[in-house]
Amino acid sequence: MSTRREFLTAALAGGAAALAPRRVGAAPKSMTVVHESSFIKGFDDFFVKTLSPEYEKLTGIKVGYETVSVGSMLTRLTTIVETKAGPEIVGTGLNWPHLFDQGLLDVTDVATEIGKKIGPWHDNIFDAVVVNKKWKAIPWGNIGQLECYRTDWFKEVGVNKFPDTWEDLLSAGRLLKKKGHPFGFEIGHGFGDNHGWMYPLLWSYGGREVDKDGKTVLIDSAETAKAVDFCRKFYQETMLEDVLGWTDVSNNKAFFGEQISCTNNAMSILIVAKRDFPEIAKVTDHGLNPQGPKGRFHLYNPQSHAIASHASDPAAAKAFLRWLYDDKQLSRWLVAGDAYYAPYLQGYDNHPMWNADPRYLPFKESLKTSHLHGWPGPAGHALSESNAKYVLVDMFAKACRGDSTKDVIATAAAQLKQIYKAK
Amino acid sequence: MAVRPEPLARSAPVAARRQLSVRGVLEREGAFSWLMLTPGVLFLLAFVAYPFFYGIWLSLQDRPVARSGVFVGLANFVTLAHDAVFWQVTRNTFVYTSVTTVLKLLGGLAMALVINQAFRGRNLVRAFLLLPFIVPTILSVVAWMWIFDPTFSVINWVLVHSGMITSGFSWLGNATLSMVSIIIVNTWRGIPFYGITILAGLQTISPDLYEAAAIDGATVRQRFLHVTLPIIKPILIIVTMFSVIFTFSDFQIVYALTHGGPANATQVFVTYAFDLGMSGGQLGMGAAAALAMLPALAVMIVALTLYMRREP
Repeated sequence: MSTRREFLTAALAGGAAALAPRRVGAAPKSMTVVHESSFIKGFDDFFVKTLSPEYEKLTGIKVGYETVSVGSMLTRLTTIVETKAGPEIVGTGLNWPHLFDQGLLDVTDVATEIGKKIGPWHDNIFDAVVVNKKWKAIPWGNIGQLECYRTDWFKEVGVNKFPDTWEDLLSAGRLLKKKGHPFGFEIGHGFGDNHGWMYPLLWSYGGREVDKDGKTVLIDSAETAKAVDFCRKFYQETMLEDVLGWTDVSNNKAFFGEQISCTNNAMSILIVAKRDFPEIAKVTDHGLNPQGPKGRFHLYNPQSHAIASHASDPAAAKAFLRWLYDDKQLSRWLVAGDAYYAPYLQGYDNHPMWNADPRYLPFKESLKTSHLHGWPGPAGHALSESNAKYVLVDMFAKACRGDSTKDVIATAAAQLKQIYKAK
Repeated sequence: MAVRPEPLARSAPVAARRQLSVRGVLEREGAFSWLMLTPGVLFLLAFVAYPFFYGIWLSLQDRPVARSGVFVGLANFVTLAHDAVFWQVTRNTFVYTSVTTVLKLLGGLAMALVINQAFRGRNLVRAFLLLPFIVPTILSVVAWMWIFDPTFSVINWVLVHSGMITSGFSWLGNATLSMVSIIIVNTWRGIPFYGITILAGLQTISPDLYEAAAIDGATVRQRFLHVTLPIIKPILIIVTMFSVIFTFSDFQIVYALTHGGPANATQVFVTYAFDLGMSGGQLGMGAAAALAMLPALAVMIVALTLYMRREP
């Protein structure tokens, strides 16, 4: 039996060995890119199996590819920037370059070069990635949110073309619900499919959350009231009650369960249907968001690459992005993405990837009428806080469950005034 | 031959040398105890105390993500106090915690009393009853998502096919039912924790006490009230205290099942704090929302601890 002293000596020795710095070889020439996992498996695979080996062969630098689950990238990005550790090249979405601007490097030079070669860039994208006149991220594509519907069921009620206005969509929805094919638009606390149609609905009736100055809250208006009244009617007369509690997986599941005839979603429903539900894929199509009295709108969801400020070799990271955004690489990668990502470069407006399926084309078309959440307000922290608090979603949701238009708008206005520090 | 005993005390210089040596220090009970405690204390300092105090520090700052913070005192708490959603979150958290705690206590007590009886296959039953607690939360929540799905819900199917209702409930789309749903899941998952802990208490009760009570003419109810309950009371208090803490800070069930929806009907402190801090990038405000549950928890823990200390 060992004595106390022997035990302690052994324990301390073991601990010291564990804590001692290990001898390591020379730092490998490598860097890591972190992305949200793509719905298009071929997109991620193309990076890992083709792009990364090609770059390593060319430069000797190995580029790792880390993916996080859909909806988790913001959390991952927060930990990377806050701890100043982890992948050097980070994927961003929405307005995140504004949120993390102090943790991201200026990539204006790279973006300008790319714009000259394959551009120019679409004008609307500047709001998302340019912070204080500096590019903080380089976008590669938009994940558009459009109307996804069953052509066979629409035809059954005499609607052969996707309705052009919200009122026409409401009329079609009434008929379809009577036939047992309700609509299913997410009105719950998801991360994308709710805002994907609610902001465009609000904007198309002339409503706005906040003005350009970011200080004047505009939500309390007659235009917002019209949008809220329409939404209540749209929900009550065309949808399932359950949509109030839906998250982003719910409408996909309901569509494949042949439970709903129309929803607002990214192209993922069609892509998954082609792979796993070919019969449903044959009768699935996309339509632009309907227009309201004040026009037609869509929501931007720009996917971009940024360089974290902790990158040990920013020049190497920039060199990689220059190579990645060269037409030879970017073009093939976008094709591997099956047109899921609509590029913001006008040089790609007629890219062959759009010819693969005419049902992809509305996603290209939607770029012209797309804006970031909270538009025309600034794309800063307040916008993110408004989204995180689901101000707009809950305004519509409460109206749908029966609260008065006046009350739900008053609540949203009070929240927005607090968020935007407006008087 | 007489043997001289060893001197009981060494000479003063030798004793002093020993006390100063490493060996001397290790031989001292107090020093050795502290040495053994040190790893645990360091662990608690690094992973409990530091995050806790850092959280308090964050809550006192205007601290957007990726930016340095500015000390604002209690401004975040004042802002929350003027936020209607925060008060809804507070109500939700208290309803969720109090209802599930009562249900888990009653269910766990019943479970423990049943599996404390001798019957064939008792060990197997005990193992199965533990399953909800063993299965990773997120996996069981995915299963519950299907159970509450309007189309595929097995509950709706049974209710409709038994003629009790004509169309299925919207378990997660209706404000009241969504709260009921998360309460059901939390209760289902938490009962085994109560059951097994109370069972451990029940097994410490000597059968002699029950025999004596029975000889005195005590009924089953009287034996439970006057023998079982007083003995397991400390365990009930401890398990309730743990459960309240876990339920107050329950994130996974709510986040995965409803994400606080519909219209914040199931939003609780931790999910709201996560949304503010991570999704909204307002780390200071998020920390303040998370810390808002501290006073209630602290009062409850202190009250229960004092009650236990008062007990003979």
